[in-house]
Amino acid sequence: MRGKREQPIVKQPLIYELIENVEKVVVGKRREIELSLIAILSGGHVLLEDVPGVGKTMMVRAIARSLGADFKRIQFTPDLLPSDVTGVSVFNQKTMEFHFRPGPVMANIVLADEINRTSPKTQAALLEALEEGSVTTDGETRELQKPFFVMATQNPIEYGGTYPLPEAQLDRFLFKFRIGYPTKAEEMEVLNRAEKEPPIESLQPVLALDKLLQMQADVKNVFAGRQVKEYIISIVNATRQHHAVYLGASPRASIALMKAGQAYAFMQERDYVIPDDIKYLAPFVLQHRLMLNSDAKLSDLTTERIIRDLLEQVHVPAGNEQAQ
Amino acid sequence: MKHFQLKSMASVTHLLIYILAFLLIWEWLRPVPAVTNTGQIEIFVWFTLASAVLIYFRFPFYITMPALFAGSLYGLHRIFMEGPFLSGEGAGTLLRTFAAEFTMNTGMIFNGNFAALTDFFRTFLLFMLLALVCYLLYYWVLYTRKVFFFLLCTIAYITILDTFTVVDASQAVIRIVIIGFFILALLHMLNVQDEERAIGRRPGSFISPAWMYTLVTMAAAAVVAGILLPKPEPQWEDPVPFMREIAGIEGPGGAQASRIGYGVNDERLGGGFEKEEGTAFLAAADGEKYWRGESKDTYTGHGWTSDPEYIESEQIFGSGIDYHMFEDGAELEEGQTFIEMDEAADFELIFYPGQPVNVQNTSAEAGGSTIPENEIQFYTDAEGGRIQAESGNTESVRLESYELTYEEPVFPMEELRNSSEEDPEDIQEYYLQLPEELPERVTVLAEEIGEEHDSRYETAAAVENYFSDNDFEYETENVAVPEEGEDYVDQFLFETQEGYCDNFSTSMVVMLRALDIPARWVKGFTAGEEVEELEDGRNLYEIANANAHSWVEVYFPEVGWVPFEPTRGFTNYADFEEPESDPGIDLGEDNSGEDPNIPEPEGGVDDLLEEGGEQEGTEEETDEGTAVFTMKNLLISIPLIIAVMILYQKQSRLQNKFFFYRYRFSGTSASFSSAYQRLLWMLANEGLPRAEGETLREYSRRVDLALSSQAMTKLTSSYEKVYYGGRTPVGEWEKRKKDWEEIVRLLQA
Repeated sequence: MRGKREQPIVKQPLIYELIENVEKVVVGKRREIELSLIAILSGGHVLLEDVPGVGKTMMVRAIARSLGADFKRIQFTPDLLPSDVTGVSVFNQKTMEFHFRPGPVMANIVLADEINRTSPKTQAALLEALEEGSVTTDGETRELQKPFFVMATQNPIEYGGTYPLPEAQLDRFLFKFRIGYPTKAEEMEVLNRAEKEPPIESLQPVLALDKLLQMQADVKNVFAGRQVKEYIISIVNATRQHHAVYLGASPRASIALMKAGQAYAFMQERDYVIPDDIKYLAPFVLQHRLMLNSDAKLSDLTTERIIRDLLEQVHVPAGNEQAQ
Repeated sequence: MKHFQLKSMASVTHLLIYILAFLLIWEWLRPVPAVTNTGQIEIFVWFTLASAVLIYFRFPFYITMPALFAGSLYGLHRIFMEGPFLSGEGAGTLLRTFAAEFTMNTGMIFNGNFAALTDFFRTFLLFMLLALVCYLLYYWVLYTRKVFFFLLCTIAYITILDTFTVVDASQAVIRIVIIGFFILALLHMLNVQDEERAIGRRPGSFISPAWMYTLVTMAAAAVVAGILLPKPEPQWEDPVPFMREIAGIEGPGGAQASRIGYGVNDERLGGGFEKEEGTAFLAAADGEKYWRGESKDTYTGHGWTSDPEYIESEQIFGSGIDYHMFEDGAELEEGQTFIEMDEAADFELIFYPGQPVNVQNTSAEAGGSTIPENEIQFYTDAEGGRIQAESGNTESVRLESYELTYEEPVFPMEELRNSSEEDPEDIQEYYLQLPEELPERVTVLAEEIGEEHDSRYETAAAVENYFSDNDFEYETENVAVPEEGEDYVDQFLFETQEGYCDNFSTSMVVMLRALDIPARWVKGFTAGEEVEELEDGRNLYEIANANAHSWVEVYFPEVGWVPFEPTRGFTNYADFEEPESDPGIDLGEDNSGEDPNIPEPEGGVDDLLEEGGEQEGTEEETDEGTAVFTMKNLLISIPLIIAVMILYQKQSRLQNKFFFYRYRFSGTSASFSSAYQRLLWMLANEGLPRAEGETLREYSRRVDLALSSQAMTKLTSSYEKVYYGGRTPVGEWEKRKKDWEEIVRLLQA
């Protein structure tokens, strides 16, 4: 599922330009950039599971700068409070009124670092924002900015003092993927670039936010035919029936897969979704939504492996089912 | 008894299968009354049905066992007791009897005294066995789903009964085949449905209409074909006599098959025969000839006898011919032949073509030692023409080889047709004999046949042709033997109408005699098989024991004894000379020429004779109807088979060609999708199928890689637009036709 793809797959000119721009500062992470953009275009959010220092922040900042978007970063700690995320009302003694000071979530692009380090209460505050597109403080519901995109990260190494996200909340992320270490050549390039001034400061916006909003609307018009929907359902169903899976993917996963497929088709300047889109995206959409049973853990089955096997088996509708 | 807790299999399919299995058990019970002295088989069938029902519905053990026991008691009551079952008295008696029998028989079992078990107890055991079989079948059919072995056993059981007992299982075999078809197919269907369920395609088992239609069609086709197709006679002889022989059991009296070959005793003709293997002798001759041994003149109603009058002659015909066959009207040609008897052949008589003139360089042995040539004496039967060798002091000799000078006649047709009917008295005396008890209808028939023919020759030819004109069958195995008081010829002509050369030749002789035409019955060998061409221009013929034969000689006052060949499928070797201007019939060829189904038995194929003796593989060929492996059939069917094989092998190519032209000429935009789908189908047939989880794009890349082209990828992107994108395929076919054709062409290459 992480096999080679033909490059360049992105044909939509504006998106292509955006990716080129981001790549000025991020080395060799085209696939992750694309996935992030797919998430942005389809209005979803991303969970990154990776060790520190592989360029998560750099990537998301570069994307934000290229969009000219408002960027905030929240470093989650055990003592972080929900109001530290959503914002708080402060009493202004001059005006004798409560004045709302927006929290870091009130931005276009938010990097939520080490989300599993904070208490479930704070996590819940953020996740409400993810799902609803709004936050509620002091009984008042406030709409978030549009576009709104969260990239949360969690560290897979340290479990001490962490609060792992419950499955219900994991389901709210469109994608989960890793960034991974660069290759030797890429790392050399990273060093070369870091030698001078960090280039991120010189990055110029290439895509206006209202243009992005327009694109988000266009993505919804990408056609997903009956056959493609059937294929999505077959895949999701297969996860529910797999013997090593304790909890399969939800209908929310089906929706996510379709929406991601629409965005991916849009990036390829195609106005309809094909099974290839779905097959490519399915691992990123599904792997954090499956819970394996103890059998699987004992026999070293991973969600990745299970999804890969399923995709090999699930029949792709091609129209010649009758002929066969 | 734990295993009685198998869980119930309650679907309709399971029920149907189990019912079929019950029908199979029934097939086991059906023939029982015919082969044993068991009566009232229906009680056993009902009991079996009851146990099958109990077992199918998985009643608990504490219900099933008592119910089966009660059922068997009731069965015992029906068979052995009188009076009502349910009365206190009846049941009491039955239970007491049962208890007594049970104790007594168990005692005998423990003493190993099985033979003494009573019928009552045996019947009880049979009931138990039937219940057990029902249970076993339930397990086989519904759990292990393997019933083939049971089916095979059933067929073996039925066929053995059919072969060795009075049971006629021809219907049963058909029933079993149908049941078997259904049961195997349904089981297979269950297995397939299970597999489908395992991969989540189907909710449960059900009777699929597609399966059922196919199944019914296939079963019907197989059965109808089986019933309608011509059935050749068994290629192997009936195994029963063979096995009896092996087992040392004497066969029942009556129509025993006799061995084929040249025999001495012709007093009782009829019955099938077995082929006798081996060569009789080798003969160098300048063409195909009858090898005459002797003729017989007295017909008894069951066979032939003669009363030889032997004339002693040392150099047999030293001073002229002792045995005259031909008169002045026949042109005689002298010929030489050399005959070498096979080592296994034991003949004391000489076989000759035409009429013998002289014998030289005779070598013979008696009791293992060679006899000097000058001690060999020949005795000739002046009537029958049997020339027998004897030595001075020993009774019987075995001829090893001899050279023979003979005169071969050419019969002018002119003479035959205009023959007078002035037979010498001695000829009339000997050769018009008929038994007094010859049924009248034989004479009537003969007169009918001869009615419209004036000359002797035409009458004889009409009788000769009568058999082939009226579809008499050549048959060697199931040939009837006339009962005491029944006439051999009468039986053949009016009842069986099938037989071999003895039947045909005897009948012809008898009918001719009934018409006052002198005729006699001749036995010897046919020409045999040509094995080699000799340096002197003659050919070497191998005459097998299986070539033993009998034919007819008819007397014509001007030319003498003329051979006729009434047996279907055989050729008359005699030489007939047509006057050049006269396009008359050639009698020699009449026979074999008549019926195109009968291959010319030239050389190799032949004949027979003697107490029923006769022939072999080749004979079956001459028998129309069962003639399967004839040269003609082979020549026709080999190319046919090859054509079918080629078609089969090339089928995908032909299909591809077909679709190529179909879409090339009638493809439209609307048919773009079906053209692409057809292409997927062709690719799959050519060994490039799309994997289950493979997308079209992945697949098209793989195909292009395999075929070194770009076309599939282009085609696929157009198809995606139509199929996944929901577009109408306007102009797609025109645009992609070339790519489509390219792929198909690459597939052909």
